[in-house]
Amino acid sequence: MSDALPIEVTVPTPLLELRGISKEFPGVKALDDVSFAVYPGEVHMLLGENGAGKSSLMKVLCGAYRADAGEFYYKGEKVAIASTADAQKLGIAVIFQEFSLVPYLDIAQNIFLGREPKGRIPGTIDRRRILADAKRVLDTIGFDIDPSTTVDKLGVAQQQMVEIAKAISQNARILVMDEPTAALSDRETELLFALIARLKADGVSIVYISHRMAEVFALGDRITVLRDGRRIDGVKPADVTPDQLVRMMVGRNVDMTYPRNFADKPGELLLEVKGLTAATGISDINIEVRRGEIVGLCGLVGSGRSEVARAIFGADPVTSGEIVFDGKAISGEPDLAARRGIALIPESRKSEGLALLRSVSDNLVVSALRKLFPSGLFDQRGAQRTSDALVRQLRIATPSARQTVGLLSGGNQQKVVIGKWLAAGSKLFIFDEPTRGIDIGAKSEIFALIDRLVAEGAAALMISSEQVEICHVCDRAYVMREGRIAGHLTRNELTEENIVRLGMHHA
Amino acid sequence: MREAAVVAQPNPLQRIPGVAIVLVLLIVLFSAIAPGFLSVANLSNVLVQSTILTMLALPMTLIIMTEGLDLSMGAVLTLTSLCVAIVSLATHSMLLGLGAGLLVGAAFGVANGWLVAILGIPPFVATLGTLGMAQGLSLIVSDGQSVVGIPHSVRDIYSSTLLGIPVPIVMALVTYAAFHGLLYHTRFGTYIFALGGNREALRYAGLSPNKLLIAVYAIGGAMAGIAGLLMTARMNSGHPTAGLGLEFDAIAAVAVGGTSFERGNGWLLGTLLGVIAVGVLRNGLNLISMPSSVQVASVGVLVIVALFLDGLRSRA
Amino acid sequence: MTDITKEAMMPSRSFLSQDAIQVFYRLLAALLICAVLAVLSDSFLSLGNILNVLRQASLTFFIASGLTLVVLTAGLDLSVGANVALSACIAGTVIHKTGSPALGILTGLACGGIVGLLNGIMVTALRIPSFIATYGMLWVLNGLTYWYMAGETLHGFPAGFRQIGSGYLFGLPIPVYLLLVFLGIGTLFAQRTIWGQEIYAIGANPVAARLSGIPVARRLLLVYAVSGTMAGLASIIFLSRLNSAEADIGESLTLPAIAAVLIGGTSLFGGVGTVFGTFIGALILTLVLNGMNLLSVSANWQPLVTGIIVILAVWLDMKTRPRAQ
Repeated sequence: MSDALPIEVTVPTPLLELRGISKEFPGVKALDDVSFAVYPGEVHMLLGENGAGKSSLMKVLCGAYRADAGEFYYKGEKVAIASTADAQKLGIAVIFQEFSLVPYLDIAQNIFLGREPKGRIPGTIDRRRILADAKRVLDTIGFDIDPSTTVDKLGVAQQQMVEIAKAISQNARILVMDEPTAALSDRETELLFALIARLKADGVSIVYISHRMAEVFALGDRITVLRDGRRIDGVKPADVTPDQLVRMMVGRNVDMTYPRNFADKPGELLLEVKGLTAATGISDINIEVRRGEIVGLCGLVGSGRSEVARAIFGADPVTSGEIVFDGKAISGEPDLAARRGIALIPESRKSEGLALLRSVSDNLVVSALRKLFPSGLFDQRGAQRTSDALVRQLRIATPSARQTVGLLSGGNQQKVVIGKWLAAGSKLFIFDEPTRGIDIGAKSEIFALIDRLVAEGAAALMISSEQVEICHVCDRAYVMREGRIAGHLTRNELTEENIVRLGMHHA
Repeated sequence: MREAAVVAQPNPLQRIPGVAIVLVLLIVLFSAIAPGFLSVANLSNVLVQSTILTMLALPMTLIIMTEGLDLSMGAVLTLTSLCVAIVSLATHSMLLGLGAGLLVGAAFGVANGWLVAILGIPPFVATLGTLGMAQGLSLIVSDGQSVVGIPHSVRDIYSSTLLGIPVPIVMALVTYAAFHGLLYHTRFGTYIFALGGNREALRYAGLSPNKLLIAVYAIGGAMAGIAGLLMTARMNSGHPTAGLGLEFDAIAAVAVGGTSFERGNGWLLGTLLGVIAVGVLRNGLNLISMPSSVQVASVGVLVIVALFLDGLRSRA
Repeated sequence: MTDITKEAMMPSRSFLSQDAIQVFYRLLAALLICAVLAVLSDSFLSLGNILNVLRQASLTFFIASGLTLVVLTAGLDLSVGANVALSACIAGTVIHKTGSPALGILTGLACGGIVGLLNGIMVTALRIPSFIATYGMLWVLNGLTYWYMAGETLHGFPAGFRQIGSGYLFGLPIPVYLLLVFLGIGTLFAQRTIWGQEIYAIGANPVAARLSGIPVARRLLLVYAVSGTMAGLASIIFLSRLNSAEADIGESLTLPAIAAVLIGGTSLFGGVGTVFGTFIGALILTLVLNGMNLLSVSANWQPLVTGIIVILAVWLDMKTRPRAQ
């Protein structure tokens, strides 16, 4: 699929062009035949929902991921980007959200790490020169700070500036920024925009990932929208409205079945969260979940959804507010929540939900040990019987329950995580991205499973970045934004556009 | 308008009081209860005796900055001091003895570095293993006996003075200056901060963390070699078990001095003060006739408290 | 930055069921060593020597068995040797002062257990990494023991008490029976109780274990307390075997215990290993050192060999336990 560019009076060669880039991970196609071009001195906005492929594209650009297919062209000539060094040579620099700064070195040392100006004695650093050179780079980007300040004393915004200075000092001509204003105040954002204007004037291109419509229209020269790993369209801000962009980001062919029997009337109140606040960044969360319902929790990545789930489960400490489960107040560690009947199916099943080197059986019984073996004596055969039954019930594709769980496919691993809570007899299931990285067939099965669970009297709180799923599966949903509940959508109001609208910052 | 650092800077003075306060408290305490503590003779004795520990604690600071640990330093010290003794006895040359010590020490340092960096073995296990090896070699090489009859040139290192200052103290000061220069003025020193603070940053910069890590441990081993010379000079003999356990004092000095085990930051002056604090603690307890066992226990308590406070600080 | 599609090779069956295979190989190794030693030395196969090996292995095993549980949770207890010394000295004193071996035994066990509990508190409540916490504890205990004993030695314990370490029953040294008992108890605890399962889960993935509802802190306290108590037990055996107690008996105990755990196939990274494996590890180590003795290799070589074995065992562990990193 070639990049159909609008015909201009002069057709400059793109500084960097990607053609047909594909990148696949087991079970999921992160990038599917994406073509993308960056022109000198432009701010190119990259839009897309969570999981659309933005971060994969970024990583391919800077050489951290190697593309499975496709070609790169630099100033019209074919090049290879197979490593971070290749990308650096081409002048591509990515400003990641986790910075690559060394905390106890000062700004100058960080900017020139590995390229320090030599002092007179071999091996030493010319302190005066490194500070002067650093000052010069900082001045270029308009960041007035003493370069001998150690980085650990800087705020996030300032650290970001140092990262940018580092990139500029390496003669980066293409900067990729991933939501740079996410952690900035309004004033700092203004300074960043001024910097971007200065860079543009110098001919530096910026690939800018953002979820803020205001920025997209204020800064962008061109906009590319990704969805499901594919490039949907490239447009200019003047030619499009925010609503159209939202529709591009969100619309998709529904080729899935969502088996869902909606409850006529919800059951008794199972979970009541009042004024929940935690140091992890959530404030004043009020949520209700009843038996028989699937309640959605939506919002952008970083809006605090997982933090709410963890706080309810007791995985993170709560600073204020109340959690009432099944009529009784609850506060404490996860083992208490689990005993009372709350289940958490975490976002990263491999690192937080499973012991990969242990067997399917071990993982299935781990949360139900006290229930299955009240005497305290663990019986391997009894565990085997229970896990065999669960494997059958959940249709987990595995040669046997003794199989190492790390070898199962994503969907089946997820079934194991859910299965362990089934064994424990949980009443409230909190799902954090239950179908991430799972293929279509398995997704249907997972939803059918959740539907069955709540039909039998359990309750579910489901965090998902796939708006389609939320709309088809949930009875109602809360939308979060920047650590707070931005709104609540009833069944009738539950549309993808509404979710995205509530979740994005419309400043 | 010039920007100020946004984060309320942990007052750099918040660092100094830690170990300086401890030191001052210890001095005050022992002045009160230990007879003869405050005499010039005693205090200079403390300083001179602290020089060996300084030689170990300074490189240990660097190693701990890389989020590592070297438990073998004491045993390697024992081995190198034996090597110094044996070689200087055989060749009547202090310099050759020193060379032998340096060589053996550096070899163990490289071995430690290789185990940690290339094989990826956790530092405390790797150096625990080399501790056993060094300990064993010390017994083998000395056959369990002390080595006596060492040339005067060796003993004189400990007892002579340079411009009125005892040679060991001169050596310690020179070493401190060298480490200071290394850490704050060379590229290598810069990279040590990165090894502990953000190893990925080094890889992005195209450097090899492994080679750097091996070098850091090698320096530790080499310093154990130099300390071996001092120790043999001090005892005027080589002893198969002297020096065992000194790594603990070194780690204690570094921990008390404020270098954290987890953050890629180090404070050489703090280590120096920590060394003096440990020396004062031992000396004071000695003067009130507390057996070395109590001294060791006290140092142990000091370390645990220092680590706990460090943990509090890093979570604050 | 590595491409995340590169994942480590996974074993084709549950790893823990491969534990049986690992133990089997190690058993073979032990038998091989026996065969070699039988050829190299006439006195190897003598009854006296075999019993000696068994008794020596049992001493290492007592300490190493508790240590196994700690290592299963990806922790380490470097204070065990010093713990044995302190517990032995205190138990010895109690026996002398009260004339009651039973009281002495209880004291020894209690002392070991309390030390273990303190280690556990440092690791869970104070969040100090286990190797540093137990390393500091090692020196504190050393100091306390040396101070308490003040250079003296305790000797002369009641004959009945001495039977524990030096006595025989049907031709076998009593420690060997104790070894079998604790081998049984240890294996039962680790493989057949729910606490054992939880410990394996914690070692395999502590984060997932917590999020699966396992009270991780409480279990960690338990394993450190057990490690300490087993050190206390070992101290009683030592006391009764040596018929004396002095401050330095613990010096050479820690490294062999760690070696036994590692040789036995318990991984430093947690979640993999068995108590039976540790027994085989203790056996292998003792056989190697025994062989060195029989071949008149100076005892000075022993720490060196043990150190090399520890490093080899860790290296082997890292090579054969794939981790998806």
